[in-house]
Amino acid sequence: MLGLFKRATPVADACELGNSAVALPVRSGCTVPPSYPVVIVDARGSTRRAGAAAAKRMELRDGEAAYAFHPGPYTVDLLPFAGAPEIGLRTRFTIDAAEPHAAHQRFDLYLASEVAGRLGLDAFTAVMEGALQRELQDGGLDLPPCTSIEEWNAFRLGLNELLYMRCGVTVDDCVPVDLAGSRDYAAMLAARALRGDSEAPLLAPVAVPAAPACGVVEPAIADARALRRLFLELPCLMCGLRLAALPATPDQFRQQQALLQRLDLLSVGANAMPALGLAAPGQALGAAEQGRRAHHSRRATVSLDEAWALLARLKSATPASLAPLYDEAERIVANLEADCEGRRRTHAARGESEAA
Amino acid sequence: MSALPGGLAASGSTVSALPASAECRSLLADGSVLTVSATRRPRAGRADVKCTVPGDARLAERMQEVVRLARHTEQRFDSRDQVVIGIDRVPAAHERDWELAAVLADRMVRGLWTPRGQVAANGWSDAWHLGRVDGHALDVPAEVVSAAGMPVTLLGGPGGLAHLGQLSGHPDPGAAVSVARAWFPLHAGGSGDSLCWVEVGVYPVQSAADALDEEQAIAVPGQDAARQLAVRQALSGARHFDGRSGAARWRTTVRFGQPQFQGRSFELALVLADRIARGREFVPRGRLIASGQSDAWHTGRVDTVEGLAPKCALLLREAAPGDRILLPHAWQDALPDGFDAGLRALGASLACVERIGII
Repeated sequence: MLGLFKRATPVADACELGNSAVALPVRSGCTVPPSYPVVIVDARGSTRRAGAAAAKRMELRDGEAAYAFHPGPYTVDLLPFAGAPEIGLRTRFTIDAAEPHAAHQRFDLYLASEVAGRLGLDAFTAVMEGALQRELQDGGLDLPPCTSIEEWNAFRLGLNELLYMRCGVTVDDCVPVDLAGSRDYAAMLAARALRGDSEAPLLAPVAVPAAPACGVVEPAIADARALRRLFLELPCLMCGLRLAALPATPDQFRQQQALLQRLDLLSVGANAMPALGLAAPGQALGAAEQGRRAHHSRRATVSLDEAWALLARLKSATPASLAPLYDEAERIVANLEADCEGRRRTHAARGESEAA
Repeated sequence: MSALPGGLAASGSTVSALPASAECRSLLADGSVLTVSATRRPRAGRADVKCTVPGDARLAERMQEVVRLARHTEQRFDSRDQVVIGIDRVPAAHERDWELAAVLADRMVRGLWTPRGQVAANGWSDAWHLGRVDGHALDVPAEVVSAAGMPVTLLGGPGGLAHLGQLSGHPDPGAAVSVARAWFPLHAGGSGDSLCWVEVGVYPVQSAADALDEEQAIAVPGQDAARQLAVRQALSGARHFDGRSGAARWRTTVRFGQPQFQGRSFELALVLADRIARGREFVPRGRLIASGQSDAWHTGRVDTVEGLAPKCALLLREAAPGDRILLPHAWQDALPDGFDAGLRALGASLACVERIGII
């Protein structure tokens, strides 16, 4: 009221950090113990780590946000297949200290672009699980029945790359576990039968990658977050593609150049995206069209997820196996172009499905 | 710009594995056969699906809606292609059995499903966006199938193809009954060799009265007593191997694609289909094809079976991208030269296993 009782508030529920929360927002004026690294996100979305002074007292400028995170290790059970709930992968991961060679830290970028407020361990696990399930379904990773030891080792390498590229975490250990003790598939099926709403499938495959990142139904907020992701992640993806996808032939070199050029245009386009609710300056757009636009921006974030997974695969690719990955990159870029175009339009294109 | 032709050439080399066109047939009420044909072409800013029906714009609209709804069950989305679907004769207004044929043609032309030979399909659905197939109005009689030379005949609905994921044996993610399929090679001496499926459906036990004996709750309709006993013993042994004793949790129904066959080499496929249905096994991307038996399923051991050479030849003919093939460990050293590489070239993967279970 009069500002008499104003004082530096501590980090909310600081005890959670390292248990049920991976990162917590820090307000200006808070003091953070030295064992917790602090990431500062400025108004333009670029990140930096706070200096490693003992017991940092945060001084933030206007528009800046800071997160304190616990480096772990965390142990979580990932479900590789949505249809097989009694078998899981017990995964232990850590969030590494800043790599001095890297221009940007992947985890910092994740915090800047996808996290708003608290990053809970369960939400973070859901993101990792979604990425893993999607990659297994698309064939980027293979975990078939009766996996042999060579297949398991190949899977582990792919999983390490995937989770690093997608979320910026380092997998220490990963073993298959029987989850029958904690999850009863029979009970889940019985509950499904009792509920009887076949209209809402328990495991909607399309919703998996997008849902955990933005558990928001408000289209305006979801759209703003999606655009933020496009704005922040497209330049980093271009950088990754330049580094990871070293072309093997002149044709591939040209293909890579063309892809980078298209991504560049996309990035420019994403920075100049029109507001969700406006058809023209001072002219509002109908709710149905807003929903269509938000749908396109949401689907563009799915393409971003796919692109990170593709970068992980490119890292361990041999020159012989590059061709299908380049094709995949073309598909992702084409999808991004289609969705950015759809997001920009003020009315549905001819023949476009409304319900989608 | 010069980059464009290079890009097209490189992507063309990988896309060339996909068929340029696909056909799927469907039987009409008046006995004639309708053909749904699908082709793929660069999208170039057009709609993702275009349907053409001579003289019936409303049917074309409905077909586009059906195909788009069925695509909701797919995760991978490609905005580069347009699929054009045409139909060679117009069904009566109330007939809906062509819907399944249209959906399958759309999947075939994009390489999501690769059947052997020609396909006939009859089925309709009110929930295509969930991948369900609710039923079919017409049976496709055997003489039509043999006359048109269609080795694959699919009828929608319970008892037939109830869910699109069933094409590769996967359970329906929204249903209260978990039904999984696995395939096993049947060796009948040369040209009669074929893959046969075994389907395991598990229902959670609801009341305590049902929960007396899990082995007695395994039904194998349409099979003789000896086969029923073999199925029950294999399943209860393999479930014992899970190490979860206690109350019975499942009522089980086992069905086979063919009523008559000899031998026990179906057991491995049966056991793995059961594990997938109960959510306790990694799920293959395509079909699971297995051959193997055991005298000690309670230890998880897999014993050898007969017919190595003809079965391997059959597998090389039948394997499709994403398929997982499991053979007994004893076959490892006797496999024909280039078998593994041949399967890998088809996109399938092979393992010779000593025991079931994770790693």
